Amino acid sequence: MSLVGPLLLATLLFSVGVYGIIARRNAVLVLISVELMLNAVNINLVAFQNLLFPAEAAASGQLFALFIIGVAAAEVGVGLAIVFNLFRNRASVDVDRVDAMRW
Amino acid sequence: MMTDPSLVVQAAWLVPALPLLSAALIAAFGRRLPWHGAEIGLLAILASLGLSAAIAWETFTTVDPAPYEAAFAWSPLGGGFVLELGMLVDGLTAMMFLLVTLVSTMVQVYSREYMHGEARFTYYYAMLSLFTFSMLFLVISNNTLQAVVGWELVGLCSFLLIGFYWEEKSNQDAANKAFLTTKFGDVGLIVGVIVLSAGMFGLTDTPFNFLETIDAAVAGQLSTSTIVLGMLLIFLGCVSKSGQMPLHVWLPDAMAGPTPVSALIHAATMVTAGVFLLARLFPVLAQSATVMAVIAVVGVITLFFGGLLALVQDDIKKILAYSTISQLGYMVAAIGVGGYTASIFHLFTHGFFKALLFLGAGSLIHAVHSNNISAMGGMRRFMPHTFWTFTVGSLALAGFPLTAGFFSKDEILIAGDLWALNGLATGTAVYWVGLAAAFVTTFYMARAWFLIFFGEHRGAPHDDTHDDGHDEVAHGGHHAEPHESGRQITVPLMILAVLSLTAGLIGSPFAQERPNFESWTSTPVIEETTYPFLAEFATAGVGVSAAEKGPSAKILHGPPSWHPDLLLIVLGVFGGAVGLAWRFYGRGLPERDPMLQMGGLTRVLVNKYGFDDAGYRYVVVPVRDRMSAWATRISNDVIDGAVAGVGTATKRMAQTTYTAVDQRIIDGGVNGAAFSAAWWSARLRRIQSGDVQRYAGALVAGVILLVLAFVAVR
Repeated sequence: MSLVGPLLLATLLFSVGVYGIIARRNAVLVLISVELMLNAVNINLVAFQNLLFPAEAAASGQLFALFIIGVAAAEVGVGLAIVFNLFRNRASVDVDRVDAMRW
Repeated sequence: MMTDPSLVVQAAWLVPALPLLSAALIAAFGRRLPWHGAEIGLLAILASLGLSAAIAWETFTTVDPAPYEAAFAWSPLGGGFVLELGMLVDGLTAMMFLLVTLVSTMVQVYSREYMHGEARFTYYYAMLSLFTFSMLFLVISNNTLQAVVGWELVGLCSFLLIGFYWEEKSNQDAANKAFLTTKFGDVGLIVGVIVLSAGMFGLTDTPFNFLETIDAAVAGQLSTSTIVLGMLLIFLGCVSKSGQMPLHVWLPDAMAGPTPVSALIHAATMVTAGVFLLARLFPVLAQSATVMAVIAVVGVITLFFGGLLALVQDDIKKILAYSTISQLGYMVAAIGVGGYTASIFHLFTHGFFKALLFLGAGSLIHAVHSNNISAMGGMRRFMPHTFWTFTVGSLALAGFPLTAGFFSKDEILIAGDLWALNGLATGTAVYWVGLAAAFVTTFYMARAWFLIFFGEHRGAPHDDTHDDGHDEVAHGGHHAEPHESGRQITVPLMILAVLSLTAGLIGSPFAQERPNFESWTSTPVIEETTYPFLAEFATAGVGVSAAEKGPSAKILHGPPSWHPDLLLIVLGVFGGAVGLAWRFYGRGLPERDPMLQMGGLTRVLVNKYGFDDAGYRYVVVPVRDRMSAWATRISNDVIDGAVAGVGTATKRMAQTTYTAVDQRIIDGGVNGAAFSAAWWSARLRRIQSGDVQRYAGALVAGVILLVLAFVAVR
């Protein structure tokens, strides 16, 4: 199996994530875009492990992917808590308007 | 050698120290005391007098006393140059101590009544004490420099006391005149002291020390030019201080002060300073015939022409002032003809009878409210005590046989006579001019005596009270008839009268061979020194015994002996003068005073030989109008200009430094740093937009840039 397929998929996902982060105004969608980017990385890790180093006993690519999934879950927990509090205070989750921490 | 000087001699420093202490105490607390400070002054001067008497007795009775010297040495510059603050106690010091403290005591007792109710009574007493201290400080000093300090202090105190009634311009002028005239001589004195000490450098560490200077001079270690120049300049100081012609002009004007001060100035604390200094340095000046001749000539001129001036005076104090000038002339002339003992003996006796006469004159002025003898007359009925004491003083001044003045003045004439035997003309001059002046002295004293005490009381015209005797103002009121002064005035007069009669005995033929005045005031140096310019007589061995008539190169003349020939001459002179005075003034003041009817002579005498006018015209006016103008110009243009220039330059430099360095560089740097920080931060802060997505975009852009860079570098 070629690396091209997974890498293209990962690139696509990553690009969509980047676009989402930069362009979307909804905070929830921004969080989802972050997840997309993380998962694009996960695909890369798994693909490289399985296709380039299949004999590696430690299977560190998969292991890293698992860690990232765990970390992403925690990150989503924290992110959603921030979004909830944001919504409670402003009745809106528009990222453009959350600019209180400016000069 | 006095190996173990007794305790009183060692404590001699207390004699000047006590009046200084009392002056300070009076100035500090005098006003609050019941006697307004007079009690402190009296206590201190009495203590000094007691100590002086003890010292006098100690030095008088000690056979061959060596001088006692003690000093604090101070070497400010190092290198074998030592300044001293010390004391030198010998017979001369002790004699001066006794005279100064005794007269000061009498003056202080007397002043309690005389100055009673005076507004500046406390100040007056403080000044009296300071004056006494200054003179004692001069007398006790063991080096010339310290003597100069005392000398200047004396001048200062006399200035302050002559100008005591400073509200009147004439009194201020008199004080200034006294100060400036004596100051002129003081310049000579200090230069002389320096010249003399210049010869001492290299010989000793203490170039100003009296004894070492004397020893060096006697041993011939000082060059003739040093001695002549130094002593003549020092003599210039003595001329001004001791009222010798032509610098005597301040002395009559000094009568502007209170009368007791005049007594002090004339008898004890001021004019005697010059004669004292000459006596102190006698062995030095005895090395030079030139110096002695100059001194003798000045003295002879002064003793005669000073005395003549007293003839035409109406002011009793002026008569006494001119007689002081004349008597000082005797003393100086005696120094000039080798009459060391005679000179200071006359200084000693003159102190008593001149103090007596001045205090008596003060008593009269107090009663009559005028200084003028034309306003007195018949005073013997009103003031019997003043009368007989004044008579005693006049007799002593005139040299009536067996009074103090007789013995001392005869000593001077005999000294002149003996000097003449050495073949020096100044001796002859002193003898004959001295006799002539004795006639003049007797005549003007007899004139004053007749006019004051005999005839009818003429009363004081009102205007005269404001003439120059301001003394009576304190007393207030105008008495119809004069009356005798109180006991505080008469008792000092009586004490001084007794002394005027008896003080001469210690130097008279009645005294023992030893101790007498001569042995008292001589020192080993003076006993051994001979006049080098008379050496041929000494080697010729003509006059072996000094007491015998004959040439002698020794300073001391030996114990006094009787001189019947001189006694007869003196008696004749006295009788003639008194007789002449009686013929003119015996029946009161004549319509036309014969003294004022002598044509040209009177004119010359009334104009005081033109010294005052000439001094005014050729010294005061040029100095005041030209030199002071120059000085003002120099001060205003040169000195002020320099000061202002330095100031302006400094200011300008500071201004430049301020604007260039401080404002531009330092402040500019600090401000620039602050401003650039503000400028940059104002622009950089826009990055912090708070827009999270923009941050994310920037992050991505950065990553892309980094990757591209990475690729490019690969």
